Amino acid sequence: MKLVALTVLAAAHLNVFGAASLAEVLPRFDGTARYQFGGSDQLAFQVRGGAPADLFLAASPKYPQDLYEQHRCSKPVTFATNTVVLVVPRANPARIRSVYDLRRDGIKLVVGAKGVPIGDYTRRLLANLGLTAVLSNVVSEEDDVKLVVAKVALGEADAAFVYRTDVKAVGNRVLRLAIPASAQPTVAYRACVPTASKQKPAARAYLRRLLGPTGRARLRDAGFGLP
Amino acid sequence: MRAAFAVCAAVAVAFLALPVVALFSRISPATLLAQLGEPAARDALVVSLKTNAIAQTLVLGIGTPAAHVLATRRFRGRDLVLTLVELPLVLPPAVAGVGLLAAFGRMGLLSTSVAFTQTAVVLAVAYVAAPFYIRTAVAAFEAVDATIVDAARTLGARPWRVFARVALPLAAGGLGAGAVLAFARGLGEFGATIMFAGSLQGVTQTLPLAIYAQFGRDFEVALALGALLAAFSFALLLAVKWLRFTSTPVFPFASSSSA
Repeated sequence: MKLVALTVLAAAHLNVFGAASLAEVLPRFDGTARYQFGGSDQLAFQVRGGAPADLFLAASPKYPQDLYEQHRCSKPVTFATNTVVLVVPRANPARIRSVYDLRRDGIKLVVGAKGVPIGDYTRRLLANLGLTAVLSNVVSEEDDVKLVVAKVALGEADAAFVYRTDVKAVGNRVLRLAIPASAQPTVAYRACVPTASKQKPAARAYLRRLLGPTGRARLRDAGFGLP
Repeated sequence: MRAAFAVCAAVAVAFLALPVVALFSRISPATLLAQLGEPAARDALVVSLKTNAIAQTLVLGIGTPAAHVLATRRFRGRDLVLTLVELPLVLPPAVAGVGLLAAFGRMGLLSTSVAFTQTAVVLAVAYVAAPFYIRTAVAAFEAVDATIVDAARTLGARPWRVFARVALPLAAGGLGAGAVLAFARGLGEFGATIMFAGSLQGVTQTLPLAIYAQFGRDFEVALALGALLAAFSFALLLAVKWLRFTSTPVFPFASSSSA
């Protein structure tokens, strides 16, 4: 009897693995699930390694697609979009007014590591602007976008590329600088249900609600774009 | 009872050895060497050796006289000072990282711009490693027979000579063990470094940071670096045992107070 009760309790929680940039919006959307936030690449690695994820919400189409092709998760669906922005500390010690100021020597720029969605988007954006040379000003490559934004919010870095939605979370500690829209990479968030999940119906229900009016409203409030 | 104790010993040793054995069983020596040739691995090795060498020099150079003072002087608040010195031993590395940022960060108390530089790595390593050395060194200096030191002094030796020719040789075994322990701890430093110095290949990405960075991308490189660190740390700890073993008193008449 005891064993049954334990199983029911364990089943009550849905394990949701989400991109770090979803760390504020998802608990607001559904406070009953258990969340693990991190770089989408690291989360995908854990899903492949057999981590008990019931739902995988990534900041890039790449990782859900890889898992899908390896028959490790369901067909990915897009549930949100985002834009990349440049942030500087409110005091703006390096006096950065536009993305082109990043070319100046001695600027402390923090970016996501290669393979981390924000890191790949940042590199694509800089390539679109013909500004890949500014990567020589990078002082740290972080493992997820929250670590990137924290360095600027703390005032330790001069500038960083993060998502528009990350700016809301750190409030007035950073200034957001616009980036030419033509240089924007396509940032699409995709979700899939890992094949190993033992709660597929509940996971699908979560995803349906996220794609439905409630989810869309929450995502929009948080600054995400909608597909 | 003996059998039960033996079983406990076997379980403990097996449990502690298993992850290390697994590390080496997942990767052949040939692959290990090949993976260590990867640029990310090579850069991490260079960064680790350089920053740890500098940190170790600072720890020994400043830590030895400091430990001698703490061991030989009695003053008010000595216990407090010793506890402060030991605190980084038990402080979670994440706390050390936040603390270093709060102290040396641009917005910190001293407001420096060392964050994200190799200097920051050196500071992080020195911060977590120094207590290992100073603690052991204080104990080693305390164990030096005071009568020998007094004898040297009454025979006319100046303080520096007493320190260099009497106290230092007598404490050498303990100092060596402390230095090796500090070096091993410094090499493994992760949390404070990643928070305070960031992670950039070839600049601030030390071996443990590279293992973390490669973990989700190239597991083989992570394994190879992990195996390398494990092997090196094993050798260092073994060296400590031998240093302790050979730290028997240099002077036969000091044997009554050997440590």
